[in-house]
Amino acid sequence: MADDGENSVDNRATDDSKPEKMFTLKKWNAVAMWSWDVECDICAICRVQVMDSCLRCQAENKRDVLGRQDCVVVWGECNHSFHHCCMSLWVKQNNRCPLCQQEWSIQRMGK
Amino acid sequence: MSLKPKIVEFVDVWPRLRCVAEDVITLSKVERAVWNTSFSDVYTLCVAQPEPMADQLYNETKHFLESHVQEMLAKKVLAEHDATNANNTSSRPDLLQRYYTTWVEYSQGIKYLHQLYIYLNQQHIKKQKITDTESFYGNLSSDAADQMEIGELGLDIWRLYMVEYLAQELVRHILEGIAADRDSNGTLDSHRVKVINGVIHSFVEVQDYKKTGSLKLYQELFEQPMLEASGTYYTNEANKLLQRCSVSQYMQEVIKILEFESKRAQKFLHVSSLPKLRKMCEWKFINDRLGFIYSECRDMVSDERRQDLRNMYIVLKPIPDNLKAELIQTFLEHIKNEGLETVYALKGENIHIAFVENMLKVHHKYQELIADVFENDSLFLSALDKACASVINRRPSERQPCRSAEYVAKYCDTLLKKSKTCEAEIDQKLTNNITIFKYIEDKDVYQKFYSRLLAKRLIHEQSQSMDAEEGMINRLKQACGYEFTNKLHRMFTDISVSTDLNNKFNNHLKDNDIDLGINLSIKVLQAGAWPLGSTQVIPFAVPQEFEKSIKMFEDYYHNLFSGRKLTWLHHMCHGELKLSHLKKSYIVTMQTYQMAIILLFETCDTLSCREIQNTLQLNDETYQKHMQPMIESKLLNASSENLSGDTRIELNMDYTNKRTKFKISSALQKETPQEVEHTINSVDEDRKLFLQAAIVRIMKARKVLKHNALIQEVLSLSKVSFTPNIAMIKKCVESLIDKQYIERTANSGDEYSYMA
Repeated sequence: MADDGENSVDNRATDDSKPEKMFTLKKWNAVAMWSWDVECDICAICRVQVMDSCLRCQAENKRDVLGRQDCVVVWGECNHSFHHCCMSLWVKQNNRCPLCQQEWSIQRMGK
Repeated sequence: MSLKPKIVEFVDVWPRLRCVAEDVITLSKVERAVWNTSFSDVYTLCVAQPEPMADQLYNETKHFLESHVQEMLAKKVLAEHDATNANNTSSRPDLLQRYYTTWVEYSQGIKYLHQLYIYLNQQHIKKQKITDTESFYGNLSSDAADQMEIGELGLDIWRLYMVEYLAQELVRHILEGIAADRDSNGTLDSHRVKVINGVIHSFVEVQDYKKTGSLKLYQELFEQPMLEASGTYYTNEANKLLQRCSVSQYMQEVIKILEFESKRAQKFLHVSSLPKLRKMCEWKFINDRLGFIYSECRDMVSDERRQDLRNMYIVLKPIPDNLKAELIQTFLEHIKNEGLETVYALKGENIHIAFVENMLKVHHKYQELIADVFENDSLFLSALDKACASVINRRPSERQPCRSAEYVAKYCDTLLKKSKTCEAEIDQKLTNNITIFKYIEDKDVYQKFYSRLLAKRLIHEQSQSMDAEEGMINRLKQACGYEFTNKLHRMFTDISVSTDLNNKFNNHLKDNDIDLGINLSIKVLQAGAWPLGSTQVIPFAVPQEFEKSIKMFEDYYHNLFSGRKLTWLHHMCHGELKLSHLKKSYIVTMQTYQMAIILLFETCDTLSCREIQNTLQLNDETYQKHMQPMIESKLLNASSENLSGDTRIELNMDYTNKRTKFKISSALQKETPQEVEHTINSVDEDRKLFLQAAIVRIMKARKVLKHNALIQEVLSLSKVSFTPNIAMIKKCVESLIDKQYIERTANSGDEYSYMA
């Protein structure tokens, strides 16, 4: 809690210089939730939520120790999104987006 | 001497040989030279010219042995028998003694004779001997037509002329001897024991050469009557004991008798009889008297009379499992009653602690008792398991759900929350807790509660130690598998990733010389892993005081990760606000919404509820929930008790508090009954989904399946996390038929097939 002490000293210094405010935010413990920025939250290839690992990864029980980087989402130029694992298998057979039949090229990868 | 076959007259050689044979068989002294001559006589006769005289030799020898044995019977065994009858029995050797002495001599003698006839045995007899396999199929009887080796022949003759003749007498005497040993508590003098033992074993030895059925004579002649006699004796003894003993004493006596009898059996009998006699003894003393033994079982168990129970266990151990059922059932009931007693009277706040700890006490106590008294017998351990499971999974009534899963999860929560208990103790308690956890049938309910409590601990930073948290998750993983703890793991990982992220973010701010003016700590949770109830975002106009922080962090986050979007869960945020409008300045911990409300008063003294709500765009429920505690804490004053739209709210300028740092308790952190109910309902939903998925998977693999077989497979799949009731499975089957995943087959009403 040494940090707190320092902060409050700092604040007092600024408080003195400025006209004192009645209320000052000292500390904020915020909670946020992240999800993939996708239009459809289910992967059309494996029918699993993109937030979860794809079916194949779940079956193999891959331990996602480091924030599950092994089963990320991939967006095509068409803006459709899938599990990267699912898509890399798909393109081996057919290099088109399974939803819109456009030529598949990766726009960005989830990280 | 020459080995060359020569012409001999049988009558020239035989008388000489016969004399020597007689000396040999009576164990008289035979000179080596004489022995050698006789040895070659046998040879000479066997290879005699022009015709070998082996058969003749064999027959003569057989006659000789027959008459020898008969003579021994008459002169040595029987003759004195008459004499002893006339005289005092105790001073003279009796029948057993005489038989034994004769047998010892003869059995030794015949071995030597066998040696003497070795040429005949090996060259002449072996040739015509039937092979092992042939002897297996039929030729078991020692037919006179077949020639035997001399040793065997001798024994067979002994059996024929001696044993068969004396059998009844001998057996009668032996049984008398054994009875005498029983009466004297096993103090029969050792010589006598040796004689009886020798006689008994002679019945075996006399048939020893036989490849099969060598015990047949012993069994028919002796063992059968012996077992019968012992059985009668045991029955009488048991009757006598019943007259004078309590159950407890009876068992003690029986244990002693069993021990003595098995020693006695070793002393006298052939090894093959030991288990048979033992069985007989057990049968007469235990199996036949089960009613009596069990008559006090209930009391012994309920008073936990360890010595008696121990004896009862020893006594009952050898008998078949189904006969022990009564003791085990009684034991099980006893544990169950004690468990129910300690657990179902519980009331009050800390019911979950008492529940787990009382149950553990019961479990521990009986585990120890089983180790001490019942030798950790698996039958008793499984009775303990059954009893515990039935106590723990008992529903108070048909309608009410079983709350054990909730209690056990809350118990873990209590342990893992910050407290003064030392870590080692917590660790121990958590390990113990798993014992109880394993009995829970509704593991999915436990998981629901546990994950919600874990979420609360992690978000509100109430955990005693992250190591302990991780340890517990690992224990659960061990007990129920990866699937069960997957989400718990992800929650746990989110928190450690967030800590890391905060450090990096703060360094980033420092590097860029940005001062947000507040101490910011942000947890980023991944969607889907956290049991946050409805994830729909409550509308909220974020005060500009927060905006900079939020923007800085979002920029930073999006820079670090791509493709992610952040949603702020303001209802879970809290912070510290410094109040400087009063005489003293205070630092107050409160929810974000509450901070937002107070911040509105920076620029004005009084606001109506409607104004506040509109500015912050809070819905009624959220507003009420957060406003009430602020009024209660007296930081704000309201013009009316009931907060309606027109109620005026103003700062309480006279507020004082002894403490300069305090917290406005929020309604959110307490578990409401609705929440519990919600948890339980959501479990039901999850179960339906699980069952449907399971049914589809099974049917996809099997294509066609009978109703009962399907139910069994579903049960075995769901066993890890819960025990579904059959009605629920049926409902799921129905709904899958409606959804056309499966259909009833045309030919049978209780069969389903998978529809692709």
